[in-house]
Amino acid sequence: MRLDICYRALYAYDSWVAESQNEVRAAPVTDGRQHLVAYRLSVAPSSRAVAFTDYWGTRVDAFGVREPHLSLEIVAEAAVETGEAFLLPAPTDFDALAEPVFAATHGEYLARTPHADWGDGLAAAAADARADDIVATVVGVHDLVRERMAYEPGSTYIGIEVEKVLAEGHGVCQDFAHLAVAMCRSLGVPARYVSGYLFTTSDFTGEDVDGDIVNVQTHAWFEAAVPWYGWMAMDPTNGREVGPRHVKIGHGRDYDDVPPIRGAVSGSSVALVETDVEIRRMDPSQQAAVVQPPLTQPIGEPAPIEAQQQQQQ
Amino acid sequence: MAGGLFSDYDLGGFYDEAIGTNGAPRPGQEPVVDWFDALTPDDLRYHGDLRDDVLRSRGITFTVYGEAQGIERTWPMDLFPRIIRADEWDVLERGLAQRVDAVNRFLEDLYVGDQAILNDGVVPRWLVMSSSGFEREAFNISVPNGARCLVSGVDVVRGADGRFLVLEDNLRNPSGVSYVLENRATMARVLTGAFDRMGIRSVDHYGRSLLSALKHAAPPAAGDDPVVCVLTPGVFNSAYFEHAFLARQMGVELVEGRDLVVDDHVVAMRTTGGLRRVDVIYRRIDDHFLDPVVFESGSSLGVPGLMAAVRAGTVTVANAVGNGVADDKAVYPYVPAMIRYYLGEEALIDNATTYVLWDDDERNAAFDRMDELVWKPVAESGGYGILIGPQASDAELAAMRDTVEADPRGWIAQEVVALSRVPSCVDGGLEGRHVDLRTFVLTGESIEVIPGGLTRVAMRKGSLIVNSSQGGGSKDTWVLSEDPPDPAAAEPAGGTI
Repeated sequence: MRLDICYRALYAYDSWVAESQNEVRAAPVTDGRQHLVAYRLSVAPSSRAVAFTDYWGTRVDAFGVREPHLSLEIVAEAAVETGEAFLLPAPTDFDALAEPVFAATHGEYLARTPHADWGDGLAAAAADARADDIVATVVGVHDLVRERMAYEPGSTYIGIEVEKVLAEGHGVCQDFAHLAVAMCRSLGVPARYVSGYLFTTSDFTGEDVDGDIVNVQTHAWFEAAVPWYGWMAMDPTNGREVGPRHVKIGHGRDYDDVPPIRGAVSGSSVALVETDVEIRRMDPSQQAAVVQPPLTQPIGEPAPIEAQQQQQQ
Repeated sequence: MAGGLFSDYDLGGFYDEAIGTNGAPRPGQEPVVDWFDALTPDDLRYHGDLRDDVLRSRGITFTVYGEAQGIERTWPMDLFPRIIRADEWDVLERGLAQRVDAVNRFLEDLYVGDQAILNDGVVPRWLVMSSSGFEREAFNISVPNGARCLVSGVDVVRGADGRFLVLEDNLRNPSGVSYVLENRATMARVLTGAFDRMGIRSVDHYGRSLLSALKHAAPPAAGDDPVVCVLTPGVFNSAYFEHAFLARQMGVELVEGRDLVVDDHVVAMRTTGGLRRVDVIYRRIDDHFLDPVVFESGSSLGVPGLMAAVRAGTVTVANAVGNGVADDKAVYPYVPAMIRYYLGEEALIDNATTYVLWDDDERNAAFDRMDELVWKPVAESGGYGILIGPQASDAELAAMRDTVEADPRGWIAQEVVALSRVPSCVDGGLEGRHVDLRTFVLTGESIEVIPGGLTRVAMRKGSLIVNSSQGGGSKDTWVLSEDPPDPAAAEPAGGTI
């Protein structure tokens, strides 16, 4: 699917800012499932960005503004071609996780990190998802997160502990993703946080778009490592496979490795931040592609009433 | 030496660097031993007072954190120098250069190379990836000439057999070199001319050597005369004295983070004449405070945008970001393997015997003799968190065992080294005190080892703790430029000429 994405962030300050220095991670990555066709970053007041690829393979644009300003606007435009979801890996034994090369190259995705620092409560919950093989376990974690969590924008904040998120049972896509990452790791399955965009009218249902244009926010999901397969991507917020309407920016151990923007501003100004992602489908002919059922809803069985109600919130 | 200050000198069963087991001075030590031996206790006290006057008038201080009454203290320097023979130094010098060469290559391999040493399984990948010093924000940042450890501080000790061993590497912000220079200057004032003929190698050129190494590391675009500055966290840092000292020695600006700005990915310093471009920053602040965009966002010590400028290649930061992975004490045991891997040589100076506690067998063996070993956290420096088994209580050892079991990657155990001793001035007499040696190695156009280094001495009787914050002192360290002829070898064979 060909998608044009326009990510925009507007910082409005309550007093003059003399200097600001920033890093932007908004460019879709080119990988096995998607291809970045074009990308452009523009900033007002104008500034020259330097681009580099970070440790995780994400494109970073760094820029500074050193003239007094009351607002800062960052616009990242991308054209990307996405492909279909990969087939799920074949069932794989947990023993395979101990294979030396796999273990050595995935160790950093098993450690606790600030946003995925679990305790006994989360580990006990995750144990319910433990199946005989890794793939079923990851699907189980995905289902479990969706089962335990209600989608409520504004109910959490960046930096909230995963245990608290689980206990309170609501959050947004970042929380769903961190929870899934922490659960996988607590079971010994390497997992990573993914930042990206989703072409949908609702992050929670993930349903397809009636027209060809949506205005949304950045999205997040997770990937788990399966030996001899690679990374298996799942989106617990809406219970769908990561498919052609998902556009990946990058991944890391948690949010801190792939924040859309991080920066430093001189002085003590308070900023009002407004962000918006406009995604436009450029090949409408594919609009009526096959609709995939959510993974959490077993085919042929009606979803539980609560789940159906949730989906309409 | 009958009747002199050395008449009752007790070796205490340790390797003494000045006096051999036969009670006579070791080769090369005679002029100093004889000179001190001829002093009276009053002479020694007189020279001690003179030394204190000189140190005070030169304003040489060090800082102890967490003390209510003023944090600055006069620097403790013992008058009896530590002497290293030319032939001993030759091995040490080559061994240190070899070590720093290998470590620089290791860091290059990790951050901008193929990670060949990990792929070949010489150093375990997981060990590197789990190091708090492995800085992913430094990934793919190249460093001119690969001079990542531009200044290294390698700590060496001598054990019971007199052999030198490397105890640890300090590759981030090693400090102490200012005291090397100040000790020498003070000795020259106190012992005026007494040892002029000994042929002691100079250390006065350190500032020039450091400046030359820093300039050599400048980005190519900087031209023939790069601008260098020293970046300090400020006057409340324990090493501020040294930061100011080094800036003065080099004749460059001493700046704090707020004095630097990044404009269009170029770093400049605010001066009375306006902004002036900076090419090389000798930074004495930790990685995590360098740039609030990338690291601690609340920190005002650093320079916003600095890391992007470093990536853009307009400025060099020395030492390089991310060196901590190579002085992680759980990685240190692999330095001899790095030397073999990158240089195809055997290490000229051995490591102290070290047990890696993430290994089940080594951990269990170490647990069996907890009270015989020294226990160290992998990421600390300056003696913090260390437990010395032979001096620890059962409760402390039990607590350490729990700590290690909870985080075996985070600790190492080392055999206790019976540190060598050097005669030291105590109450108008001379007694043996334990010493170590912080050496300083510069990576410039070539690798240069500063002759000698900072000898730290545990002034409390029997103590092995040499840190100045815990009652440690220092000694001027003399490297002989030429060894005196060995009397045994010089004896004419058969009596004919």
